[in-house]
Amino acid sequence: MYQADAKGSKLNLARRTRIAGLSIWRDWQLWAMLLPAAIYIIIFCYGPMYGLQLAFRDYDFSKGITGGNWVGLKYFMQYFESPMFWPTMRNTFIISLFSLICGFPIPILLAIVINSIRKQAFKRIVQTTLYLPYFISIVVMVALLQIMLSPTTGLFSNALKAMHLIPQDMNLLGSSSAFVWVYVLSGIWQMAGWNSIIFLAALSAVDRNLYDASQVDGANKWQQVRHIEIPSILPTIIILLIMNMGTILSVGFEKTFLMQNALNKSVSEVISTYVFNVGIMSGQFSFGSAVGLFNTLINFLFLILANQLAKRAANISLV
Amino acid sequence: MKMTQLFTTALAGCLITVALAGCAGGGNNDNNSSKNTNQSASSEKVKLTALVVKHSLTKDVNTMQWLNDLQDSVGVEIEWQQISADWDQKKSVLFASGEIPDLLFNATTDADYVQYQGLFEDLSPLINESATNISQMFNDHPEAKVLAETIDGKIYGVPRYRSVWPDTSPTMFINKTWLDNLGLELPTTWDELEDVLIAFRDGDPNQNGDTTDEIPMDFDKITSSYSPRLLLGSLGLPLSNYTQNGYFVEDGIVKNFLIDDRFKTLMIYLQKLYKEGLINQEVITQDYSKYQSLARGDGNIAKVGFTWGWESGDRFGNELRSQYVALPQLKQHSDSTHELYWSYDHYQIGYSGNAVAMSSKTKNKEAAMKFIDAMYDEKTSIEVLFGGMNDTDKGIKDNGDGTYQVLPPADAQLDPGTWKWTNSLADMGAFYIRDEMKQKLTLGEDMQRVVEEKSTYDQLLAKADVRINVYPQGFMKYSQEDINILAMNQANINHITDQSWAIWMTDASKDIEAEWNDYVKQVNNVGMKQNLEIRQKAYEAYLAQL
Amino acid sequence: MSSPNVGSLLHQPNVADKAFHIVVGIIAISAFLIVAYPLFFIIIASFSDPALVSQGKVVLLPKNISWYGYQQIFKNEQIWIGYRNTIIYSVVGTLLNLAVTLPAAYSLSRRAFRPRKVVMTLFVFTMYFSGGMVPTYMLVKSLNLLNTPWIMIVIGAVSVYNLIITRTFFESSIPDELYEAAVLDGCSHFRYFATIVLPLSKAVIAVIMLYYLVGHWNSFFSPLLYLNSDSLQPLQIVLRNILLSNQAMAGASEGASAYAQQLADQIKYGVIIVSTIPVLCAYPFIQKYFEQGVMIGAVKG
Repeated sequence: MYQADAKGSKLNLARRTRIAGLSIWRDWQLWAMLLPAAIYIIIFCYGPMYGLQLAFRDYDFSKGITGGNWVGLKYFMQYFESPMFWPTMRNTFIISLFSLICGFPIPILLAIVINSIRKQAFKRIVQTTLYLPYFISIVVMVALLQIMLSPTTGLFSNALKAMHLIPQDMNLLGSSSAFVWVYVLSGIWQMAGWNSIIFLAALSAVDRNLYDASQVDGANKWQQVRHIEIPSILPTIIILLIMNMGTILSVGFEKTFLMQNALNKSVSEVISTYVFNVGIMSGQFSFGSAVGLFNTLINFLFLILANQLAKRAANISLV
Repeated sequence: MKMTQLFTTALAGCLITVALAGCAGGGNNDNNSSKNTNQSASSEKVKLTALVVKHSLTKDVNTMQWLNDLQDSVGVEIEWQQISADWDQKKSVLFASGEIPDLLFNATTDADYVQYQGLFEDLSPLINESATNISQMFNDHPEAKVLAETIDGKIYGVPRYRSVWPDTSPTMFINKTWLDNLGLELPTTWDELEDVLIAFRDGDPNQNGDTTDEIPMDFDKITSSYSPRLLLGSLGLPLSNYTQNGYFVEDGIVKNFLIDDRFKTLMIYLQKLYKEGLINQEVITQDYSKYQSLARGDGNIAKVGFTWGWESGDRFGNELRSQYVALPQLKQHSDSTHELYWSYDHYQIGYSGNAVAMSSKTKNKEAAMKFIDAMYDEKTSIEVLFGGMNDTDKGIKDNGDGTYQVLPPADAQLDPGTWKWTNSLADMGAFYIRDEMKQKLTLGEDMQRVVEEKSTYDQLLAKADVRINVYPQGFMKYSQEDINILAMNQANINHITDQSWAIWMTDASKDIEAEWNDYVKQVNNVGMKQNLEIRQKAYEAYLAQL
Repeated sequence: MSSPNVGSLLHQPNVADKAFHIVVGIIAISAFLIVAYPLFFIIIASFSDPALVSQGKVVLLPKNISWYGYQQIFKNEQIWIGYRNTIIYSVVGTLLNLAVTLPAAYSLSRRAFRPRKVVMTLFVFTMYFSGGMVPTYMLVKSLNLLNTPWIMIVIGAVSVYNLIITRTFFESSIPDELYEAAVLDGCSHFRYFATIVLPLSKAVIAVIMLYYLVGHWNSFFSPLLYLNSDSLQPLQIVLRNILLSNQAMAGASEGASAYAQQLADQIKYGVIIVSTIPVLCAYPFIQKYFEQGVMIGAVKG
């Protein structure tokens, strides 16, 4: 028995090494092309990964980064048991869900629109203008909102009032019902053009022959969009949607913090601003690390979920 | 599983290579630097490295003549690293890496000493041995020593003290020109204030023909020093030391005004004013830029009638500042009998901690201490704050008879404040401005105005007594565990209180009286009760130390 | 008009196409206006009286024109050093990014490449989990990259996000038949990648190039942590210092002049323009690659 077993495993091993050898030999060029990226990821991403422990330890400098007392889930529990757990989770989730639902389709629409503009000069002007807001810093972005939405002197809020779209005494900057809209729509304003670039690129890769063929078949523009353009950028759409699902609990700190005031705090206190408020008063990192890690875990779960769904539905996945 | 193992091995391999490379490189560097020190050992000066966190206006410290002179006289040569932005981010990595300069000016906090134990030197033995100036500061002002000591009696950061500043931060301003134009007197009570504000609203006190562009009353957030919470002093509630998060002391008991009945009275009053259109409708949502620019009006036309601020020139600009006068604290009604108070901020303005700290790895600690102590010298201290006494720095003039004078800006384009921040380490330096300086030092024009305006409140400020009605914020020490609890609770408390006062003030349909008890109960439950207990304990411990 | 009529009208190609172009035009013009006005506002705000700007009195034309903001920005000599450094970091860094990302994306796009699943999983993991600021800093320090220009080029050499985008493009836009045909001709991966894949992927290369370039251009946190010398600082850090030195400590009481606050308000708009114009100039060169369609059929033929 022993003999046979050994023999069997030896054989197995030999075959396996041969196969592995064959695959490495056969694919050595692919390995070589992958190598630089892999080295970078190993050194710069996995190298510092031991720092994840911080969330489970009391930081103690004299014992090194990982030498502090192991406190397990203490800081996680501190967050879960805090009365602010549900409000911050809910606010964060609402803001990012709205951002995703409203913000994701618009760049696709813009890309299709821009791609369909026939006048080259106009196309360029529109495209260049739309991507520019991406370069506005968040501080200036919020300052713009302050100026445009001021209830007394704001151009935009006065226009909305003139059109009776909002009540006369509405203060868009200090209303808990308007906060999410202002946050999301200004985010779209800033990001949509930039985010459309990738779809524009995907559209440009559509085989011109397909258009010609469909024209011969008598298809109109609407049908071309539906039957040629959307299907050919669908893989890009799905991949980006999956990756966006992985940011479901990430609401930018700076913008929320700058837009926050006493009147909208009930909806604007998100996980990141809460962690900041606690951290700045206590001057310690472990609580922040723990909440951050929890945040990431949820994001990661959403990513996996979205990935599985996409795999089943469209056979497209991240890995 | 196998992949993971393989991966771990690969990772370990890489890390070892990295570490080796790091060691080899580091070794080389060490060799180089030790050679350097050997060479420099022949010259008599002690070389030190120092990091200074300064205001971004402040010029290169290497160009400060007085500082170079000081180094020469002490016999040290300092290589400066200057930081003026985003220090908090840089700090965490620098401290965690364990390699810090010998001296750190204005760069540390109490929490750092707890978090990075062993990184900083306990200075108390050195101070006792040789630092005569710092010892003198501790003798003259025992509070300074209390401020500096950690909970276990060590001193990692040397504090600063300055006498020449006033004892309160806010001043209440009203536009006297507007009052005159409408034929009104300075208000003395809340009721009269309301009448005056109504007159501001309905009339055209800035006389530009537009009756709608006047904003009767404007202020910063209620959590700031420049807000209507100062009117709590009308109701016998003693505010002190910026009253951060609402804590104050009354009859030796730590309390919080956010759950005090007198705050309810104030909110009802403010709700009424807001409803009548007497308060800027954007008071809660406007940003700092707009808040500032509004009070500066439009050329010579003032827009704001009644507000709070540090100093009239700063708040209203040079064109408009003469229109405003400092208004004494108001009574609630003409027949009210409450004791009047004004915010007593002496502890926050006069003292601050951690002006300078020392690395525990400093080679020549005696020399480093000697340099630090030299900054606390009587004459040097005022140079730290206002700039050097020489022809290069042009900060202060030595009158030769033991008195000094802060010079007006050498750069005529700058106002005195900006000049000070450009020309010296200013309030971020390490200094001990002795009490005698109040007589010996003639201040700049801006500071003279500050002192004069604040003198309005001298009588009220004289009521301050740390054992009865001053909350020594910043001087009270807590354990790390307590700090965590305080921080968590405070975030929960603020979440409720911030929204409550904002909604009460802006929404006239809210019945504050009816909601009050539930609100207080809720705030107590999310941690106010616990925080007050912790702070009471710390307050008593502080008093025991005096 | 009844609805079946509209439907049948839309089925006529010329009417439907006309409607399509009208809709496209309306969306394009309104999107353009919505975005363009605030951008225009930033430009006029950068040289108008800051007090009038924050009071909402500057709407269509600049008021009380003052060039103080730009004067403050350009009187600082550091800014030219900043421009130089940023251009170097961005160009060299982006070249490295492309050299690392494109081959890796190609490898991972080959379905026959067995380890791709495991490798992708490990890569994606790093998009979410990281050791944090301090351990990364220690690593950079032990590699002797602190306060060297190299760290600005090496850090972020590959972004997994961009890698996935590129890989998806390779997978979905380059037909497998091309590879099979190439293999029959005895083509190696290297040659196939260089002669077929890259030329066909100009669009996606242009996009990730733009992503990387702008990432380097806007990079703020890395130089903040890893660089100390003034001579190495990139534009964003220089601009931030200029902005801060003109800003009073908001709400600070003890005499830091609040005049400065207003000047800072003007500078903050100027800074946006100063830092964005070079990117705006570079954009058309990149833009043309993802606007032109690629005739895959032509290559095939």
